[in-house]
Amino acid sequence: MNTMEAVHGRSEIVDRSPARFISVRGAVMAILGILVVMVCYRTYQQMFAFSAGLDSTLPEFDTYWMNLMKIELAVILASYVALWSYIWFTRDKHLDKLPVREEIRRYFTLVLFIMVYAFAVYFGGSFFAEQDASWHQTVVRDTSFTPSHIVLFYGAMPLYVLFGVGSFLYAMTRLPKFAENISVPFVLAVVGPFLILPNLGYNEWAHAFWQIEEVFSAPVHWGFVVLGWSVLALGGLLVQVVQGLIECFQRADAETPGVAV
Amino acid sequence: MQKMADPEVVDIYGVKWSKWAATLSRRFDIIVAIVLFLAVLSAFHLHFMLLAGDWDFWIDWKDRQWWPTLTPIVAITFPAALQYVFWEKFRLPIGATFGIVCLLIGEWLARAGGFYLWSDFPFSLIWPATLIPGAIVLDTILLLTGNFLLTAIFGGMGFGLLFYAGNLPMLAAYRLPMEVMNTMVSVGDYIGYAFTRTATPEYVRLIERGTLRTFGGHSAVIASFFAGFASTLMYLLWWYIGKFLARVVWVPNKLKTAMGYKKDRPSASEAVAV
Repeated sequence: MNTMEAVHGRSEIVDRSPARFISVRGAVMAILGILVVMVCYRTYQQMFAFSAGLDSTLPEFDTYWMNLMKIELAVILASYVALWSYIWFTRDKHLDKLPVREEIRRYFTLVLFIMVYAFAVYFGGSFFAEQDASWHQTVVRDTSFTPSHIVLFYGAMPLYVLFGVGSFLYAMTRLPKFAENISVPFVLAVVGPFLILPNLGYNEWAHAFWQIEEVFSAPVHWGFVVLGWSVLALGGLLVQVVQGLIECFQRADAETPGVAV
Repeated sequence: MQKMADPEVVDIYGVKWSKWAATLSRRFDIIVAIVLFLAVLSAFHLHFMLLAGDWDFWIDWKDRQWWPTLTPIVAITFPAALQYVFWEKFRLPIGATFGIVCLLIGEWLARAGGFYLWSDFPFSLIWPATLIPGAIVLDTILLLTGNFLLTAIFGGMGFGLLFYAGNLPMLAAYRLPMEVMNTMVSVGDYIGYAFTRTATPEYVRLIERGTLRTFGGHSAVIASFFAGFASTLMYLLWWYIGKFLARVVWVPNKLKTAMGYKKDRPSASEAVAV
């Protein structure tokens, strides 16, 4: 039953089944896509990191690793332009007339978007980040662009920025509360992890000229730590989303005949 | 969830909801739980690996001095902040245990996928320490007292004291002495010595400068007490950091007009009144 009816001049969902409001297909597809990319990265490392990634002066290093990095950068920049432009140019310009059930559906889409973001953050912030220690504490680096860094810093981390900024733009362009005002916790939860990318400049500078030995707890890495704390701002965002949803549920119940709560 | 007389209305902790809204809110809870698991795992793991990771990566870094001192101090941070959010906002007494379990899952996945499968180190060298006993104590004290100051004092001390004790069953075998090239070392030191890590400073060379020679003994207990004291202070600091970061703050969107946004909607109460 996917019938729609006109409310305030706009299409309104009248089918009240949960599946009508929570469409997980897009999120599941995105998560599976990220998983496939990450498994491919990890397999590639297993095959070519120790065999072709130990000496950056060799031709095979260019073939297997520098070329991978060039492809990554091109693809990720194209993805930024494509996704963010799509979200921006298809924005809702009549949010003041948004039917309440459509608003509820969008809140669920936002939370699923953030779930995809969190899944991408896992690979950049946890798996490949700690795996980086098993590389750098084992072999001596002769370049900033190691087989570990090319996957971590130019593959996994830029990928989560795609979904972080995307989820923020989605909220700003589809949900009235997030369009009327900017959510400061949301800004923190997106900008903090994003700033880890520019912080790489400091990290690589310091490793090139200052600390050659790899100790993970060295001060040169503390910029990453402080920026990672910003993820805790998701707590504030959660409260904002919960407040918005409760308001929507109350309005939807008030509009529904026979459900007076 | 208690059913009311009207089959379309349910009562959840004293608040009446339509059955439809209650069902959707439960689905929302499940999605949020997954988001929190992934986000806390990532952020806490990044924080921990870059502040105390070296001691956690390698068995020969798991000493009696810095490892039991530093690890609880660094690890009580996110549990304290999460306890603020979970307890103050949602009355859930699981913040600390949730955070620590997230951290340990992240660590085990990275040790297996990176250190073991990629760099071929054995698990006897790279197993991560456990922090679960201290986390359970933190949550239990918050649940029983409902007071963050008492949780900081008693839970923080318990978190520090239980770290070394909780890991001792896994660690004890690596503390046994052995002789290598006419020098007495621990089994843990020797495993680290045998597996060369070319770009890592040798930890025994870094710290064995004093005259106090012990594999554990009194110095580990003293380190644990100091860790408990410092964890108490860290707990207080991070409770407030959690409070600061979880604030609900909005600022006006100055791009609103440029976005084509015409006018604000009526407030929620006005909308319901209509």
